Amino acid sequence: MSDPTQHPLSADAVLSCAGVRRSFPVGERRLEILHGINLELRAGERLALMGTSGAGKTTLLHILGLLDRPTEGSVRVAGEDAWSLSPKRRANLRNQKIGFVFQFYHLLPELSALENAVLPAMIKLSRRAFRSNRAEFLDRATTMLTRFGLADRLGHRPSQLSGGEQQRIAIARALLLDPPILIADEPTGNLDRGTGEKVLEILLDEQSARGVALMLVTHDERLAKRCERVLYMEDGLIQADSSAPIPT
Amino acid sequence: MFRTFLSLRYLKARKTNWIGMAGILVAVGALVLILSIMAGFLEESRRTLRGNLADLVIQPSFQSSVLQENGDWVPMQTDVERMLEIIREDPDVVAATPQLQWYGIFAPDGGESALEKPMQDAIQLIELVGIDVEGEGEATDFRESLEAEYGKKPGMGKFCNVGRPEDVEDPFVNLRDVRQRRTRLKVPILVGEQLAYLWGLRRGQEVSLVTATYDEASSKLNETAANARFQVVGSFRSKDNETDSRRIYMDRRALADFLQRDRLWSAVLVKLDDYERDKDAVRARLWSKLHAEGFLSAPGIRLNEFRTWEDFRATLLAAIQNEKALMGIMLSLVLVVAGFTVFALLSMMVTEKRRDIGILCALGATPRGVLALFLMIGLWEAVIGSALGALVGITGAYNIDAIERKLSSVFGFQIFNREIYLFDHIPAEVSFSGVAWIVGGAVFSTLLFAAIPAWRASRLDPVEALRHE
Ligand SMILES: Nc1ncnc2c1ncn2[C@@H]1O[C@H](COP(=O)(O)OP(=O)(O)O)[C@@H](O)[C@H]1O
Ligand SMILES: [Mg+2]
Repeated sequence: MSDPTQHPLSADAVLSCAGVRRSFPVGERRLEILHGINLELRAGERLALMGTSGAGKTTLLHILGLLDRPTEGSVRVAGEDAWSLSPKRRANLRNQKIGFVFQFYHLLPELSALENAVLPAMIKLSRRAFRSNRAEFLDRATTMLTRFGLADRLGHRPSQLSGGEQQRIAIARALLLDPPILIADEPTGNLDRGTGEKVLEILLDEQSARGVALMLVTHDERLAKRCERVLYMEDGLIQADSSAPIPT
Repeated sequence: MFRTFLSLRYLKARKTNWIGMAGILVAVGALVLILSIMAGFLEESRRTLRGNLADLVIQPSFQSSVLQENGDWVPMQTDVERMLEIIREDPDVVAATPQLQWYGIFAPDGGESALEKPMQDAIQLIELVGIDVEGEGEATDFRESLEAEYGKKPGMGKFCNVGRPEDVEDPFVNLRDVRQRRTRLKVPILVGEQLAYLWGLRRGQEVSLVTATYDEASSKLNETAANARFQVVGSFRSKDNETDSRRIYMDRRALADFLQRDRLWSAVLVKLDDYERDKDAVRARLWSKLHAEGFLSAPGIRLNEFRTWEDFRATLLAAIQNEKALMGIMLSLVLVVAGFTVFALLSMMVTEKRRDIGILCALGATPRGVLALFLMIGLWEAVIGSALGALVGITGAYNIDAIERKLSSVFGFQIFNREIYLFDHIPAEVSFSGVAWIVGGAVFSTLLFAAIPAWRASRLDPVEALRHE
């Protein structure tokens, strides 16, 4: 199944999967959640993934983000078959090629906003390398957080910040190492409408400014309309791939 | 990089980690303190065991002849002056002095009734030791054993009147008078403290000694026993029970007179500049020289002619050493307990921090990195805890007397009863290699225990950890 010829062969695909199935053991039996997914994300593209709750979107994103291993099928990130790599190389891909924004922000509570934002650099670099590039990364994170309107929140702990503020830090964290791929799982799902829209604007602005490919799970039709492509998922399958008009 | 940073941050932010650190601190501190005191006690016991033994004791076997390397037999030499000359030539020798030793039975006046009582302890062979006061003082702790007498030991107050301080310089001062007056009746003697205690001896008391003498010409014991009167001029305390309960010191010539013998010595005591450093070298050197001149048998023939003080006490010293090792092993169980505390706390932390672990994985941390992160938390706890613990233990050991006094006054009773022990202070000896072993052991044991939760953390499924808020 990991035969790369099965992947859609766009020259500019930064992320793709082919024949991905995922099943979980439930009691004695295995319950299949994903029934063979093929998709690709092209460089700089903005792709929305929609579907009813429980369709398997989060499961798919975890697989695309290399956090979860498909029961069958393969995932290619930046041209490499992720699950045939060593755990270390795969961790490097996660670290440098993929930015992940979660529904629940997932910041480390013991770190300040700024520290959370530079965490990917800390993970990437050795102590010495980080020390010599420290100023650069802190600067980059500070600039981003300032742009996101968090200039006076840099030293705050996540528990001292609102959900919108936390999600903006999470976006800064995801973009710190300039990954070609950004995966966002209902980034505004936990925010009220006004806040959510502001956060979304930031996310979309950054995406187009950087030309990073974005894969976005959302329930918001208006947002989906602003994406170049929309995929509909139902019961573990992609039902419709529409660059064409979205059925309403 | 994130391992160092995050482990320190977690350590700082989560106060429960301090409990583990405190546990290690207490364990290491207590271990250092207890082992220091133990080592002090054992070292003090070692000194006690030594009593008035000299560094090296040479006791020729006085055979008729000695076999040389070339196969010749040469007559065994007995000229002690020549022997002392050879010994004193050695650069590492500080002092050497002759001694005459014999054995006898001791019977004080009015002791008859005592002998009829079941006093097996009292009825024993007494070591009669003839010494040169000056030389004995230089080669052994003889003088210190006299000085220890005066008023220092409240528990032994009963015998403080045996001997006078001014006699320390010349404990047999009466002997001179006696010899000048040519009265051979009262030879002054110094009696071991236990012996004096047993018989209730007082200064000035006259006692009789009985012995069998040896006829040098015929190599046989005389059939008639020698019996002479002596006078107690004082007692001594070498701290070695064996010595203090069976030894009597007197002038070497007086003892030779008593034994009616011509050879005035049976042993030579040697004091070294640095015993621990030089003992083996000097022994080998002196032995070959003395052997070449016919004083001692060949080095290979072990007739116990040449011994260190430790050779005399080999069994008890080995027991002390053994006790030290055993104590160390048993007490190191405390480290296991401290390690277990860290295990429990880290396990809790891994459970609590599941989500953080998932986030770190999502951001590109490897399982090995997560393992290292939690190991490092354990490492910091171990390093900081045991460093502080070692500091506390060492400080405590150096100030144990002051601490004991303080505690005693707070609690209102004597914690360390100075009358029970032979020491007037709590002996403590800090061995820095020992401290290093304890700290190393603490770090090792903690890391071993931390490895289990750390491994568990590295095996967590990030998706599981992230899915639930
Ligand atoms: N580890 C698991 N074990 C069993 N079932 C799971 C597991 N993870 C997800 N599921 C199930 O898979 C389905 C899809 O979940 P999810 O991917 O979160 O859907 P979505 O994000 O589209 O709402 C759900 O029915 C969920 O209960
Ligand atoms: Mg979901």
